Amino acid sequence: MPPKGKAAPKPKGPDTTKPSSSSLTAAAQPASSTATNNTTPPATINERSQRRVDECQPYEAARQKAGLSGLSQAEQFGWVSARFARSDAAARSRLGPKSQRELWRHVNDASLPVRVLKKKLVSNPWGVDRNGRDVGSYSPAQFDDRAAKRITLTVLAAASQAFRDRRERTKRIALEDQQNPDVVTDSEVQEEHERRREMATLRKELYGDKMPGKLAQDPEWDDVVPIPHEEPEGSLAAISYPEDYAEAISYLRAVMQNKEYSPRCLRLTEYIIGMNSSHYTVWLFRASIVIALKLPFVDELAWLNKVALEHLKNYQIWHHRHLLVENYYPSIAGSPEAVASFAAQEQAFLSDILEQDTKNYHVWSYRSYLVGKLGLWDSAAELAAIEAMIKDDVRNNSAWSHRFYLVFSNPAHSTAGTAATEPDPAAPTPIVDREVQYAQDKIHLAPQNQSPWNYLRGVLVKGGRKLGSVEPFVADFVRHLGVDDKEDVISTHALDLLAEIYAEKGDKEKADLALRRLGEKWDRIRIGYWEWRRKCLESPAAAAGGTEAGVAAAVAA
Amino acid sequence: MTETFSTLPEELQLATSAHVKYIQSLDTRKDQYEYWLTEHLRLNGLYWGLTALHLLGHPEALPRAETIDFVLSCQHESGGFGAAPGHDAHMLSTVSAVQILALIDAFDELETRGRGKAQVGTYISNLQNRQTGTFAGDEWGEEDTRFLYGAFNALSLLGLLHLVEVDKAVDHIVACANFDGGYGVMPGAESHAGQIFTCVAALTIAGRKDLVDVERLGRWLSERQVAGGGLNGRPEKKEDVCYSWWVLSSLEMIGKTHWIDRDQLIAFILGCQDNERGGISDRPGDTVDVWHTVFGLAGLSLLEYPGLQPVDEVYCLPKSTIERVLRR
Repeated sequence: MPPKGKAAPKPKGPDTTKPSSSSLTAAAQPASSTATNNTTPPATINERSQRRVDECQPYEAARQKAGLSGLSQAEQFGWVSARFARSDAAARSRLGPKSQRELWRHVNDASLPVRVLKKKLVSNPWGVDRNGRDVGSYSPAQFDDRAAKRITLTVLAAASQAFRDRRERTKRIALEDQQNPDVVTDSEVQEEHERRREMATLRKELYGDKMPGKLAQDPEWDDVVPIPHEEPEGSLAAISYPEDYAEAISYLRAVMQNKEYSPRCLRLTEYIIGMNSSHYTVWLFRASIVIALKLPFVDELAWLNKVALEHLKNYQIWHHRHLLVENYYPSIAGSPEAVASFAAQEQAFLSDILEQDTKNYHVWSYRSYLVGKLGLWDSAAELAAIEAMIKDDVRNNSAWSHRFYLVFSNPAHSTAGTAATEPDPAAPTPIVDREVQYAQDKIHLAPQNQSPWNYLRGVLVKGGRKLGSVEPFVADFVRHLGVDDKEDVISTHALDLLAEIYAEKGDKEKADLALRRLGEKWDRIRIGYWEWRRKCLESPAAAAGGTEAGVAAAVAA
Repeated sequence: MTETFSTLPEELQLATSAHVKYIQSLDTRKDQYEYWLTEHLRLNGLYWGLTALHLLGHPEALPRAETIDFVLSCQHESGGFGAAPGHDAHMLSTVSAVQILALIDAFDELETRGRGKAQVGTYISNLQNRQTGTFAGDEWGEEDTRFLYGAFNALSLLGLLHLVEVDKAVDHIVACANFDGGYGVMPGAESHAGQIFTCVAALTIAGRKDLVDVERLGRWLSERQVAGGGLNGRPEKKEDVCYSWWVLSSLEMIGKTHWIDRDQLIAFILGCQDNERGGISDRPGDTVDVWHTVFGLAGLSLLEYPGLQPVDEVYCLPKSTIERVLRR
């Protein structure tokens, strides 16, 4: 401390050193201030800091280079004075009052710095950026830019906290006073959401912080504590997820546990389905929400249609649809118009989606469910739709199967409880005739196509008709059976049916010939079956106990 | 016939050690996209992998203790099992759990460390709709003949089939029969090899195979074999290795396995292997997965390909397992 009465001189900034009257001090301008680049701005922050350090110890750099004895007398004097000015009173008291006064006069005149910036011994005193780079190596412009970002972040954080406080307050007030109209608006929430996004981006830029999950950033989900996946240590079939998906599922667990049925949960299910449409539970939860909130059924269906077209192989979609229909149907059951209208809508969509994936098993199963549920047995539109599909692709077995169901399971003309492969006396003759003709027409288009042959046979059985009733038709596809060079089989299914027809008539020889030729030439891959059929001709009982060894022996024979 | 296979080129032989390594590597593939998408199949996947290993004659390749731990960690208070720890209980994963425990002979552990056989039986039987006889997959009520078969499979292994209305269930299966001899997922639905397997196997467990139109069904099944030797699941669809199981086991159950050309089917299945990295795919050249691996191997076993353990056509478990479990 200087002696009382003298004000302690303030250390002056580096570039505010005034020219001094003292000759000693005039000559004793700090060496470093004339050194290298005081005129050019520092390239980096570290350089700037170094300059400031140097400017606080004007003779230090020179002394370190040349030693105290290498300095001029004026410089030495300056250096010593600065040291004394910085030291404590006890050290200065060795100088005696007169010397101290002189010291302070000199210090004042020469504007010697009294306080000194210590060069920081810590490495990276400004810290490191997200790439591990020393911030001190930034240029001043970059540094200012970084500082500006940090300020922005602080401001945003304050605003974000203000939002949270406001939300808390309005919630509390709403509980006490339900008439109070003050609520946090959607635009405020939206603003906060964007604010958080900006904060996350800044944090990532400045500090390399990991971006928080989408839901963690969303103010709408602040009140939910997500339940993370717990995997037992070293488990045998451990699961690892991409982050967005993991986050979404952890929120799903939380809301499912709380049985929360709300619009935001509906959005959450859509979000998850978008990432993994085969996640079983999320569909079920969505169904609960739709039903609990009594959401407009048409809206949900419209959404489902979109998803179905994007995920053709997914079957949960169809079970979801089934649940919706089961839930919705009671509300329209009383009105035939409403049912018809709904049926038409469904048929339109089914046509759309079947165009994309003509044999999709889940879609067709749903279709057969719909026929039963909405009573579409006599729907001309339904029959027409199926005919159109068969016209497009006569080999579409799903369409053929659906047609059989539509025609022959119609409660109006079928007997409940009849076995599938047995005659039904209730099957009307004109219908049986029509179906026989239909099958035959389609067979002509592609004689080796299995579906209409199965269909034809099924119709004949259902109608209680003899297989022989179509013999002329069938025989047309097999020419010169058994005649060496002339034998021509346009359809193996025809030959198969012909064998049955011959057997039905009692013509074992011809039946056997047909079956033999199938095994020998026309359908060799199924010789095991054809040989068994031949045995059946001999004695049905023997065939019933037919073993592989027996057939192998017959084949070898 | 069997000795000719060892003279075939390498790609037509069974790459046993590659398959074992492939299955062992499955639980380490956590970085693969497909892995987390199929979380809801985790326990089922374990059953497929383990069964494949047993059929290959390498039951020790997956650690038994950890397997039991994992399976039990999927069990809920209800007795049912979820597909993975933390997943809700479901019929399909419950059946897989029972099959796994049967396979590694761990029903005792189920009693002492799990919720016990009786509780599992209760869970399953509670999923039956006593009016229609059908089974749901879980409390959400989706019904499918797969669940019916699963219920019969698991309950019979546990010795608890009497807990459910077998006759009503059988009636439902009959209602799913179609004009072409096959069975669909529900009444009116198209005949499909997978559904046929579940229906015929369920009827077999119930002792009601007499209800099957053997000739019609056998004919339909034999038609599944296409020119290349592989089997498809429905008329005019592509062949797929997994139908080597669904179609073949159905034929086996009705005693008509010889209605398929065995050599051609064997060649097809072997052609679907990845001889280097292991595993079997749906068609030659496609990506392998554990589902097609187990069903390809099971198909080969049914065809008595040498070096494989005999598989039970009803349960899709080694015959030795079924003998041990059902004899007790």
